Amino acid sequence: MFNRIILIGNLTKDPDVRYTPSGTPVTTMRLAVTSKYKQGDEMKDDTLFIDAVVFGRQAEAAGQYLGKGNPVLVEGRLRERKWESDGAQKNKFEVVANNVRFLPKRESSKVGGASNSGQAAASDADFSNTAPPEEITDLEPF
Amino acid sequence: MFNKIILIGNLTKDVDLRYTSGGTPVATMRVAVTSKYKQGDEMKEDVLFIDAVVFGKQAESCGQYLAKGNPVLVEGRLRERKWEHEGNQKSKFEILTSGVKFLPKRESRQDAMAGAGDLTPPGEEITDIEPF
Repeated sequence: MFNRIILIGNLTKDPDVRYTPSGTPVTTMRLAVTSKYKQGDEMKDDTLFIDAVVFGRQAEAAGQYLGKGNPVLVEGRLRERKWESDGAQKNKFEVVANNVRFLPKRESSKVGGASNSGQAAASDADFSNTAPPEEITDLEPF
Repeated sequence: MFNKIILIGNLTKDVDLRYTSGGTPVATMRVAVTSKYKQGDEMKEDVLFIDAVVFGKQAESCGQYLAKGNPVLVEGRLRERKWEHEGNQKSKFEILTSGVKFLPKRESRQDAMAGAGDLTPPGEEITDIEPF
């Protein structure tokens, strides 16, 4: 039949590269994909967190060039894995990617993030319990 | 960002059509999507079961024209819903559908072979082989 999914999102952590017993590289990437939608007059957003698994050469490249916070496009097939752990039925949805594209980082958010952190440093006491937004952290050029 | 999913599958049960308190029709369809893939020299099969949620006029047509076993194409966005049930964290992946296409049913094997005699070996369906 037909099963296709295309996502653009940011990595929530560094890619996890492993190797199968036969030596094939397998990389797992955790993606955060934010969708904005309107409910009545209100703009809402909804973030999907999902793992994308990629094999072979692309797996190695992803491990080498991608890091936490990087935007990426993945294209593949959605699957559900099921297993048992301590008698409990577990499941997990993931994308088996056959295509991974590295996307350029947004310049504007980087600049915005830099000036924000400058401000935050100036008035540190006031914002001591506010965590920095996920997306802006760890933007380092590779 | 971008979040797009397209599936072709068969309904595992009849469409569940409800209405929101505001009167919007909401149809939920359970779809089974079989993927075939090669692992080494072996052909393997993997079936994905997932709910597709449809709103509005399309939801009503789904309720009216679709039933268990019907093939359908759905297109939309993948989302995860989370809630708490008796202290347990529950989660469910589903598709928020923006488009639905009703697909023609395959002729059943018996119908197809009634005229053709026994020329085609059963169990060989060329239509299902995908290059991915």
